[in-house]
Order: sequence, then structure tokens, then C-alpha cells
Amino acid sequence: MLKNRYVVPVLFLLFFIWSIICTGFSIRDLIEGVPNLSNFLGCMFPPAWDAFVPLISPAIETIQMAFLGTVFAVALSVPVALLAANNITPSKHVKVFARSIIAFTRTVPDIVFALIFVSAVGLGPVPGILALAIHSVGMLGKLYAEAIEEVDPGPVEAVEAVGAGKLQAVYYAVLPQVTPSFVASTLYRFDINVRSSIVLGLVGAGGIGFELIMAMRLFRYHEMLTILIIIFIVVMLSEWASNSIRAHIIGEEVLK
Amino acid sequence: MLTVDHLRKRLPDGKLLLRDINFSVGEGEFVAILGLSGTGKTILLRCINRLTTPDGGEIVLTDNGSSLNITESNAGEIREVRRRIGMIFQGFNLVKRRSVIENVLIGKLGRISVVRSLMRRFEDGDVEMAHRALSRVGILDLADRRAGTLSGGEQQRVAIARSIVQDPCLLLADEPVANLDPTTAEVVMNHLRSISVDNGISALAVLHQPELARKYATRVLGVRDGVIVYDGDARLSDDDFELIYGGNNA
Repeated sequence: MLKNRYVVPVLFLLFFIWSIICTGFSIRDLIEGVPNLSNFLGCMFPPAWDAFVPLISPAIETIQMAFLGTVFAVALSVPVALLAANNITPSKHVKVFARSIIAFTRTVPDIVFALIFVSAVGLGPVPGILALAIHSVGMLGKLYAEAIEEVDPGPVEAVEAVGAGKLQAVYYAVLPQVTPSFVASTLYRFDINVRSSIVLGLVGAGGIGFELIMAMRLFRYHEMLTILIIIFIVVMLSEWASNSIRAHIIGEEVLK
Repeated sequence: MLTVDHLRKRLPDGKLLLRDINFSVGEGEFVAILGLSGTGKTILLRCINRLTTPDGGEIVLTDNGSSLNITESNAGEIREVRRRIGMIFQGFNLVKRRSVIENVLIGKLGRISVVRSLMRRFEDGDVEMAHRALSRVGILDLADRRAGTLSGGEQQRVAIARSIVQDPCLLLADEPVANLDPTTAEVVMNHLRSISVDNGISALAVLHQPELARKYATRVLGVRDGVIVYDGDARLSDDDFELIYGGNNA
């Protein structure tokens, strides 16, 4: 019989080989594809700089989609997280229900939500915003609920001991304790949503992603490169912005 | 004003911690509860404001002629009971990221509407009352500091101010000075004693030092093996001490 320590590496290797065979992954195809790839990239150069300025507006739309999607996601996630947290939930059934919402919204990819909403409300940024808002509940709800479960129960008890209700206890004793972690999770999600909103544009949900897929379909390769450059700038800018906000808030924490 | 009758409380693991607790507290009394660690002194306090639900017996609070049966209260009535009972905790239990004055105003939460409290709109009279309470415990100058930046003694004084603003008829204190150095402990005990005397609030305090009970309490209850084994003068004789703390076989 195999020793225990060989089991995992052997299984890993078997699954690796099986996957290579089934997916038809071959280095030769990749090498043969290199000329096509360089040909494609060659078509993109130089970027169409005259398209740069008109593309700023869809780029801003992408950021606005991510921003609104995140804001609505926070509004949905806070109540869901409170109902899902062991120490706050009013009953076990409510907790299971809230956790199902979190699991469901996390499991269904945002692009699937976007496709559904595009068919419901038509092309444009609105279905993208709705898709981001709902899919983000899966992550934010989970992270918020974990933060809520880690609060010091003492102050909550003290507020309840003066005869205050549950809602007052949450507002006065729970929320102040979870604010830093809520802010960090939300900014992290905003970064993800900026990138997601580009991808959602590909299925018709507006913004710079929609311009990208249009340029690709119309074989405007120079314009595509311009769009890629703009996407790079947008992602860098949004990460820089959320990092500065995070640093500002953590700095405040250290100072107290 | 407070009567505890045949109170029983079982721990989740099945152990009968409080077997048969009987005592009463009169107007303006300052009663200290003494006993070994793990005898259920804290649980006893928590049964009185229903942070814990007892398994049997009866607790009745009489305030201004009206009686509240604490053990038979429903959720709404429990809130009414808690409004009339202040509580001081060993760990202070302040909201550390909020200012001192906001922590003191928490004492008013039981008496203002939910909508008003969510807008954080306290009446001018309440804010003034909170400032007076802080000035009574000698830390008015700290009103705008974050509660978490205060020392332990200062934090416990904020908690006392919170209870003053709450304006209860009974004050429970669960080892209020266990986390404090002896000098600070004296300051905090003096404040507790003086609000009990000046505001006519009865107090029930779990203490871990018989010397503190002797100095500040008007009466001592000794808890042992789930029953009250001593109920009397705060000056314990050696025999009384032996009865509560049980010498060698403890």
C-alpha cells in the first residue's frame, strides 16, 4: 500500500495529465500560434490617439458603474450581514435565509446577472450596475457578517442593559466597532468592481468594455489598443484612489 | 425594593449553580456580594436585569409603589425592568471608538424613540445632564475624547456617569474595581457609594475583596454552594469569613 505522503502528489499528477489530455492543451499549438499573435499585435500598433478623447467619457461611465454598483451593494449587504451574523440574527431561520442570499449571489457570476438584466432592461450601464450590486452582496455580506461576529459583546450588552432595543444596540455598539473593517472590505470590492464593470461592458452593459467589444467586432485594432491603454489607466487610478482612502482611514485609526 | 425568592439557575452543562437564593435589598442600601470565584455571583446579578434567564424562583422589583415581576416579564417588560436597573461591568464595556459624552448619553437610549436615537438627536436637557454626570465623577474635561483612549479608572467613571444619566432605582455592579489598581479602586468605589447615597439608589455589588465591602457596603451577602450562607453586617468576623470562603477545604 502507498504511504500516506505519496497519495496527494500522485493524485495531483494523475489529474494534471488527465486534464492536459482532455483539454487538448499542447505547447506545439502555442508555438505555431506565435506568428498569428504577433500579426494581431502588429495590427494594433500604433494606437489611434485621435480616438483617445472621445473614449474618456465611456471610461468615466465604467468608473461610475463600479461606484454605483458598490454603493448599492453596501446598502444591500449591511442588513443581510446583520441577519446572517450569529450574534445579531433574530432567529436561526432568518440566519439560514440570509446566508442563502449571500451564497446564491456569490455563486452566480456577475456576467450571468448582467446578461439577465440586459434582456430585462436593455443595453447600457443600468444592467451592469444592477449586476455588480447584486453579485457584490455575496462577498461583502460574508465579510461584513464575519466582522460583526468578531465584535466585543461587552458594549452591546451594556447598551441592552440600559433598556435599549436591538436596533439601538446595533447602531450604538456594533456599527462603531465594525466601521474600519467595513471600509476596508468595501474599498477592496470597489477595486474588483472596476475591473468587473469592464468585462460586463462586453455583454452590452455599457462603459469602456462595450467600446472594446465594438472595436473588436468592427476590426478597429488601433482603436482597441487605445482602449486597452485607457483601461490600464482606469484600473491604476482606481487602485490608487482606494489605497489613499484606506491609508487615510488606517492612519486615523493609529492616531485615535 | 428588590426581593429574590428561591432563585435557581442551571449552567448549560447541567450544573446547578444557584440552588436556592433568597434575599432582599431595601431602599438606599449598599449591599456587597462576596464569595469564591465560580460560585455564580455574576450570574446572580445578570438574572436580576435578565441578561440571563433564571430557571426558577421569583425576582420582584418595587419602585415608587409599583411592582415589576422580573422573572415573568416578556421581552417588552424586560426593557422596562432594565431601564430602572443600572449596571456597571468589570470590563467597563464602553464603545471605545465613540466619544466619552456619546457613551454617557447611551444611558438615555432606553427612554428615547428608536427613530430619534438613530438620528443621534438627544434633547438639550439630556446633553446637559450628561455633562453634569461627567462633572460629578470629575472627568468633564474628557467629554470629547475617544473613550478607548482613557485609562481604566477613567473608563469606569464614564460607565458610572452613563448609569447616572440612566437614572435607575437600583444599580448592579459586577466586580467594578477588579481591573483597577488599589488607589483608582478607592476613587471608583467612592463615586459608586456617593451616587447611591445622594440619588437614593440602592446598590448591589459583587466584590472580590472583603476589605472593600467592609469600607463601602452597608450589608454583606455571602454566596456559597448555590445558597446565601451569610446575610448581615459588613464587618465580617473570622467565623463569618470562614463560612463564606471556607478556609482549607475550599
